[in-house]
Formats: sequence, C-alpha cells, structure tokens
Amino acid sequence: MADAPAQPAPAAAAAAGNPHKRKNKGKGNPNKKNKKLKGPDDATRRRHKPSAKFLKLLEKRARDYNSDDDDDAPQVRPRRSQPRPPPKQRDAAPDGDDDLKEAPSSEEEASSSGGESDGEKAVTMFQEGCRAFQAAFTKIMEKKLADNPLGPILSADKKLVAAKLAEEADEHKSKGEARKEKRLAAQKGHKIPENAIDNKEKMLIKVATQGVVRLFNEVSKRQTRKGLNPSSKDVKSLAKHSVPSSEGQQGQGSSKFSKNIGKGEDEPGWAPLRDTYMLGSKLKDWDKAQDSDVAKPSEVPLDNFSDDE
Amino acid sequence: GKGNGKGPGKRKMPLSVARKQQAVLANVDQVTGERIPKSFVFSRGKLPSTLRHLQQDLRKLMLPYTALKLKEKKRNNLKDFVNVASPLGVTHFLILSNPKSLPHLRFAKSPQGPTYTCQILEYALAADIANSQKRPRCPAEIFKNSPLVVLSGFNGLGEPFKSFVTFFRHLVPAIDTDTVKLSTCQRILLLQYDKETEAIDFRHYSIKLQPVGVSRKIRKLMQNNQVPDLRDLKDVSDYVTKAGYGSESEPDDEAATVSLASDIDKLNRASRKSAVRLQEIGPRMTMRLVKVESGLCSGDILYPQSVGKDVKEGQEEEEIEDAEDMMELEDGTEEDDSGDEE
Repeated sequence: MADAPAQPAPAAAAAAGNPHKRKNKGKGNPNKKNKKLKGPDDATRRRHKPSAKFLKLLEKRARDYNSDDDDDAPQVRPRRSQPRPPPKQRDAAPDGDDDLKEAPSSEEEASSSGGESDGEKAVTMFQEGCRAFQAAFTKIMEKKLADNPLGPILSADKKLVAAKLAEEADEHKSKGEARKEKRLAAQKGHKIPENAIDNKEKMLIKVATQGVVRLFNEVSKRQTRKGLNPSSKDVKSLAKHSVPSSEGQQGQGSSKFSKNIGKGEDEPGWAPLRDTYMLGSKLKDWDKAQDSDVAKPSEVPLDNFSDDE
Repeated sequence: GKGNGKGPGKRKMPLSVARKQQAVLANVDQVTGERIPKSFVFSRGKLPSTLRHLQQDLRKLMLPYTALKLKEKKRNNLKDFVNVASPLGVTHFLILSNPKSLPHLRFAKSPQGPTYTCQILEYALAADIANSQKRPRCPAEIFKNSPLVVLSGFNGLGEPFKSFVTFFRHLVPAIDTDTVKLSTCQRILLLQYDKETEAIDFRHYSIKLQPVGVSRKIRKLMQNNQVPDLRDLKDVSDYVTKAGYGSESEPDDEAATVSLASDIDKLNRASRKSAVRLQEIGPRMTMRLVKVESGLCSGDILYPQSVGKDVKEGQEEEEIEDAEDMMELEDGTEEDDSGDEE
C-alpha cells in the first residue's frame, strides 16, 4: 500500500514542476476539485513539515473529540470520507498533482477518523502508508546536502570521482589546445597591416601612381589630339615604344598598362565596322599575301571564336 | 537584360541603366570589339573564415565582370564550373585553396588555358586595411568599372613570367585610349615583382583626382556644398587667401600630376592639372609563383615548384635537390639553389 502513494507522488512532483503540463487533463471536474483544492504552495509546504494551521486544526479536533459523540460524528465522517477516496482513486492515475493535493486533504480527514472507524480498512491502511511516506520524505528533505559543486554523489567512492574529474579535465585541456592550434593554423599568413604606411607601401603606391599618370597622359594626349590632328605615325608604335622609352628615365622598372589597343588611324572607330571585328588579326588580310603581317596588338584572347554569339 | 519598361505593369527603368545592365551581360565590348573577360572566383576545399573573406574581397576586386554571389557546393568539381562557364562567357577562374594550411591562389583560363599557381605568403583583408587607415575611402561606384592592371618589375624575366604578364593583361577588359573616359578608371591593381624575395606584391588602390593649385579650403567648399562659417572674418578674401595648414600627405611631386583631357567632375576640369592620389582598398597579398600548368589544373607542368632549377618540362627535376650547386636560371643570372620544396 505504501507503493501506491509513492508512485503517483513522484509523478505528481514531476508534473508539478513541469509548467507545460495542463493541470486538469481533460478529466478534472473543476467544481469538484475546487472545494478541496489547496494551492500548490500548501502542497509543497506540507512536504517539509505540517503547517501551523494544520497543526492547530488537529489540536482543535483532538480537543473537540468526545467519545460520547461517537454515534453522530463517525457516521458523518465515514459518509463524507467515503465519497472522497473513490473520486480520488478514480483520478489518481491521470492527475498526478491533484493526487498530491488530495493526499493531504484526505490525510486530514482520514487521520482524524482513522482511529475509530474500523470498518474503513482501506482508509486506515492508506493512512498509515501516507504517514510513513510523509515521515520518510520529510527525513530526506531535511538532510542537508554537502555543498559539493558536483552535486550529490550517490556512491561515496571519492577516488572514483576524482579519477573521473581528472579525466574530464584532461580531455578539456587537450580539446582546448587543439582548438587553439586549429585557429592559429587558420590564421596562417594573415597579416594585419599596422597603422603607419611604411616605406615599402609608399614605394608601391608611387609605382602605381606612375603607371596611372602615364596612362592618363597618354589618354589626354590622344584625346586632345584626335580631333585636331590625326597623327600620321602608326599609333600602335606610339603605344608600344613611347611607353618603354620613358621608363629609362624613371629607373623603376617597366610598368605596363592593361592591354592597350592601338589601331590604325584609317580604321573606323566603332568596332563592328572594322575589318577585324571578331576575327582577329590573323584573318585580316586573308586574301592578300602572307608576308605583310602588320600585326595588330588586338589579339583575341580565345582562339575559339566559333562559339561567339 | 530588362526591357525599357514601356510595357504596362513593368518597372520603369531609365534607358541608361538598362543599357549598362546589358553591357555587363554582353560578351563583346562594344567599342573595342573584343571579348570581355569574365571571371569566377571560387574555392576548392575547406577554407577558414579569413580565407573566405579574402575570397569575397577578390570577387569585389574583379567586379563588374564576375559573379559576386556565386554559390558553390561541396560536390561541385572543376568540371561543373567549366561547364557553366562557357555558356556565360566566363573566361578566367581564380581558385583559392588551402592545402596543408598554406593558402594558394590559382589563376586559370577556361576551358583549356594555362594555370598559374601562386602560394600566398601573406595577406590582409580589405577590412583590415580599412581599419588601419584614418580615412578609409571605398565608395560603391568605383566597382562599376574594371580595374586597371599595372605590372611592374617583370622586365627581362622570361618564362614563365612573360606569359604571366600576358595573362594578367587579358584578365581585365582592354582599354582603348582613344575613347576611354578617365572617370571610369577608378581602380588600379598593381602587381610588382620583387627580385630579391621573388615575391609578387599584389595591391589594390582606388584612384582619386585632386586639382592642383587649389587650396584645401576651396576644395572642401566645392566638395561639401555648404556655406562656410564667415563669422570671424571681415571679408571673403580673408577666407580665400588665409594660409591654411599644409596637408600632411602632400605627395604631389610633378610626377603625380596629369593634365586632363576632359572634365572628370566638378573639381577636375579639362586641360587643368590634377594630381593623382591613390588610396589602398581591397586585399593585399604577397605571393610567389610556384607552379605553371599548361592545362586547367592539369596537363604538363611548365614551371617546377622549387626555384633555381633549369626550367624544363617534366617532373624529374623536382626530385633532384642539391643545396650546394649553383644553378643557372634562364635569364642568365646565377643563384644559389636554396629552393624550398613543399
């Protein structure tokens, strides 16, 4: 009999702790329950020790008890207590925490009536079981736990625990080291520039600036000249040779532009009008002799122009 | 591209924008008649997060002719990219990888072009560079045009660097000096070869033109379009002629001055002198060329891994290593064989 209250009680505890579980899972009749429902606080408080109120009530009943009134009182009580266990037992299964609320209330009634009602065998045994359970539970809850950060250790073998802890710490350390190494390897080569621009960078910027300046000067020369005086010189040679010639003065090493298109002056400006549009320089004079190869610098990057749209 | 928005219910788009969109999608440059080189920047293998940022920076660098939001999956292999590339007109691949925790960048031409593998010795992200500058400058419109490419220090190097230079020149659309508008040249990519360390410095700058001979105050006035504070001054001439502080970054030698052909913007007008000022944006890398293959990440190896051997085809050379021997390079300089092999 002690098992029955023990089993629903932990379930009730779990259910009470779970905020998502609905309290009256479909079967509860709120009206019936509300009569004896105490708040959850009362139930939890009851686990630690009986409340002062309850004690007072017990005392009051003990005071009021008069064995001369046996005829009336027990009749009232059993009748009242009888309907209570059936509904309680009926709902014991689905309603975990209601059971807990019922238990103290039925305990109240049962404890007062238990002694004298011999006919209520079930109630008596239940009451004893309840009392025993209450005593045991209270004893457990009163026990002070050691303030161990690991929590309560069920097996008191300290050595085992220490070994396990050491192993865990080791694992943790090696994992941490591995992670650090991995991160270092990932950053390999990543060099964050310092604030000040040092000499090397300044030199690089200078080189780049010279390249840009040269290009811009070329462009401005070409573009201002274009309208005025089309030069008779081959423009291609201008592009190729004048640039290298100015390098010697700079002494910096050659700078080359992105591919410079120089075309003959006699060719139209718009690309599709040219003879070499999409054909490349090779097929320019396809009907003429092969020796005259005024190779235009406009090479087609891919030879397979057949897939051009 | 999108239509001109004349139909009912279509969003109205100005003609210039529609034309620009079409220009980017086009395969052939309208003016020069050549194919526009487009590129894919992607990675092979797992990359740590900083290398992913580097990949994104490189994509921004290759704008506008690249897929900025290219999505790659683990199971894509190179063949998938090649297959997708040809209908879209993509001609170049930039492949980031991280074998043995050493970042490598491969430049390749699709579909059967040569592949240049460079090991990245050091790199810095665009965000790092912006953090290190006092006034970082990276307006979004400078990515609307391709960068200019400047290669320096590659003189007289012979193979494989000669083809490397040609490769890079083809990586960006060609510039027609007769018709190019200077306002479209807003970025510059610099590759400089350092002979002692044999490293290639890779830098990305933004170009800013500043009129020369204009005092700082007047320049700011024109830029800000705000009325200056003349409370303490008696006359406007005080404001204009007051000697201000010299700018701390006065690099303007004669070397940096250009004379413009046309109006660039409000400040830089035609046939006036302007100074070219560069500011670094974008990733910064130091790389070393370690391998050249004749195919797309396959084929004959044209340039062996370790430096200082006779440059010949074949892989037998890689096995031979002798620290004491002096070996001759192709261009005649002699060098100690201190090659480092991976």
